[in-house]
Amino acid sequence: MNFPEDNNELKLALEKAEAAARLREAPTPSRLCEDWRFGNPHRWAAELVALLEDAQTTNAGSIRMEAPEGVACEPDDELRSDELLMSSIGSDKLLGLHLKRFGKGVCLFLETSPEKPITITYETDSVFTPTTCILAAPGVRAQITERHITRGKGTIFCVRDIKAMEGADLSVHLVEEGSGSSRALNITNISSVRARVRHLTEHTGHAWAREETTAEILASEDDADIQLFSANRLADGQVLDQHTRQLHAVGRSASNLLYKNVLDGKATAVFAGNIRVEEGAHNTDAYQANRNMLLSEDAVVHSLPGLEILADRVRCSHGSASSPMDEEQLFYLMARGVPRHEAQLLVADGFLEDARAAFRGER
Amino acid sequence: MSEQDSPFSVDTRGEFSFPENHRYDAGYGLTEQTIDYICDAKGEPNWLREFRKAALRKFREMPMPTHWAPEGISGVDFEKIRYYLAHGTPPRKSWDEVPEDVKRTFERLGVPEQERAFLAGVDAQYDSETAYNNMRRELSEKGVIFVNSTEGLKEYEHIFRPWFGKVIPVGDNKFSALNHAAFSGGSFIYIPKGVKLAQPLQAYFRINSESMGQFERTLIIADEGAELVYMEGCTAPKFDTATLHSGVVELVALKGAKIQYVTVQNWAANVYNLVIQRGLAMEGAEIRWIDCNLGSGLTMKYPAVVLRGEGARGEVVSISLAHTGQHQDTGARMIHAAPNTTSNIVAKSISIGKGRASYRGEVQVLKGMKGCKNNTECDALLINPSSRTDTYPAITVSGNASSVQHEASVSQVDEEMLFYMQQRGLTRAQAMSLAVNGFINDLVNEFPMEYSVELRRLIDLEMEDSIG
Repeated sequence: MNFPEDNNELKLALEKAEAAARLREAPTPSRLCEDWRFGNPHRWAAELVALLEDAQTTNAGSIRMEAPEGVACEPDDELRSDELLMSSIGSDKLLGLHLKRFGKGVCLFLETSPEKPITITYETDSVFTPTTCILAAPGVRAQITERHITRGKGTIFCVRDIKAMEGADLSVHLVEEGSGSSRALNITNISSVRARVRHLTEHTGHAWAREETTAEILASEDDADIQLFSANRLADGQVLDQHTRQLHAVGRSASNLLYKNVLDGKATAVFAGNIRVEEGAHNTDAYQANRNMLLSEDAVVHSLPGLEILADRVRCSHGSASSPMDEEQLFYLMARGVPRHEAQLLVADGFLEDARAAFRGER
Repeated sequence: MSEQDSPFSVDTRGEFSFPENHRYDAGYGLTEQTIDYICDAKGEPNWLREFRKAALRKFREMPMPTHWAPEGISGVDFEKIRYYLAHGTPPRKSWDEVPEDVKRTFERLGVPEQERAFLAGVDAQYDSETAYNNMRRELSEKGVIFVNSTEGLKEYEHIFRPWFGKVIPVGDNKFSALNHAAFSGGSFIYIPKGVKLAQPLQAYFRINSESMGQFERTLIIADEGAELVYMEGCTAPKFDTATLHSGVVELVALKGAKIQYVTVQNWAANVYNLVIQRGLAMEGAEIRWIDCNLGSGLTMKYPAVVLRGEGARGEVVSISLAHTGQHQDTGARMIHAAPNTTSNIVAKSISIGKGRASYRGEVQVLKGMKGCKNNTECDALLINPSSRTDTYPAITVSGNASSVQHEASVSQVDEEMLFYMQQRGLTRAQAMSLAVNGFINDLVNEFPMEYSVELRRLIDLEMEDSIG
């Protein structure tokens, strides 16, 4: 539908009504949904839906923050209606349930560059559904660390909206700490209007964790750049289910992705990524790499890196590699007196450090 | 280059047809009566009739593919397809006996020249039944069987039946069930132990009736240590209503055998080309699919190799060319079901105009399999600003003793390269054609000589059309 410019409000209202209807009618995710194919999703999704639909379940968790005064506030109605327009990757049903429990979380409005890095910590031992919103005004440079600590059989389901305006330079680090039997779901939307955003996620200890990260470049003049990184160690029967979208709506922009996993025990890692370069988004550079190191016989990796290119003069590539630890690297360390087990830990850590260093801009 | 300049008088567009003249025509739609009709017309045994009917029930029960299927597949209307057409004449052994109108079509496809050139045997398919079937005496003396699938089931049931539907079971997917219910035509090949064919076997498939579904079924068995190359080329005349081609190709390479299967697909743009190709490679065996997709409106074709025996090797080499109105959804599947198996996938696609080329591939290393290796490379070339390309791989690796790598890239023809060539007097189309030929050069070399010549000529034509 085409609206004249002064009808933008009407258009927005219509979009919201459509989004509300979509979320309301979305089915519970199952194995038959393309975005929930691997890692016993039917079990986890059904359990999470039941948990969130249960009226007895409270939205319980604590929030701590280290930030300059006047920067943060609690989620308000405006944010609530923004959340309505966010995109999930196959979890509209869950996003709808999150909206029903909307109210807790942190909104950061960064109008000037903060002097120190900002830290947000969410902690829970039951069910917690916070919302994080980060908005960086033009020219702002900021580092933000978000820690999610989940104890016992707790579940954290966080919806995260990160927006960077013209000339901003934002780096966001998400640390997910689990207890061994905890669960986590993060639905993250990152958008850049001629800005740079770097995003790193690190998972440890969740029995099941899922990430849905949608990164979108909305305007660019050779200076929009979104970089997504992830470095995870999985053991026992842990499942990490990661889904990403790199959307290039306009040309002359760049995005990059590097997701690395080290798997031990009976762990399962799923990576399903997609780069979409829209029609007319010419001169786009987009890259995507998924690297997995398998340490045990029972570890499983599912890797689905995807590309959809509808534009011209595009440089796009993706790569996926899954292999055991390099014996030569182990031999090198062992020849210098490091016991085998320690050598393995060192090599695995070096493998993941690669992604962390790239996030810090050291590489 | 004009058609006359070509050393092969092969029609590359398929925009021609001849009047229909079929003795058997099972009408539109697929029901139990259609199956009875097909069975009666072909004089098939009862077990096969029951088998087909069971497959039909399965076909009705099964849903259309949901995961991973391109949107265009919902356009298939199963009620508007004719499931069986044939001339009713038994397969010919000599060229002179072939009816004149069939011959005329083949003339344009270049079958006789190729046979004269060096082909060992021709089993050319005209609609559902084989119209021409000739094998050199020396081949039959070696014990090689090369017949159509109907004859194979009748005359060689003891070899055919144990492997029939074993590589691709009825319930594999909806289209597999459809093929099991309605199959006719296709080749049955058996190469005895240790026999190595020096020359390739070849079959041409052809659809010449409107709304005609072609459900060919090919089964190739290479016994221990045997080797063969099989070539299949397709072309169809252009029609207004959509036609469906849903074939099943099963390969069985027993211990140490080698099979190379070469396909050139060039259906008209109104054909749905949904083919299931799968090979079973036993201990030390090797299966190579060399796949080239040029025609059809929507192609869904993912040649697969199930590496069942230790040390087996699988390879897929794939080229696809998508024009405006075409969607080439091609790729490969490799299932590592035995230790120390290796596989390689090389796919290159070219999108022209508003064409869409997709790579869809699956690589699986099953639990407990050690020392497996896979390498996948996909490269896409976009010619025009409105061309589209997609890559959808799915890789599953279990355990810490195998390594799998996948790489894909998308690029355009370098402007500087074109400028360089144009500066030296080539037209833009010639320069583009040279660049595109360079892009697929290393893969084209994998094709048999006459195919690679035809392919290069075709790319010249395509470039002239789109760049002009």
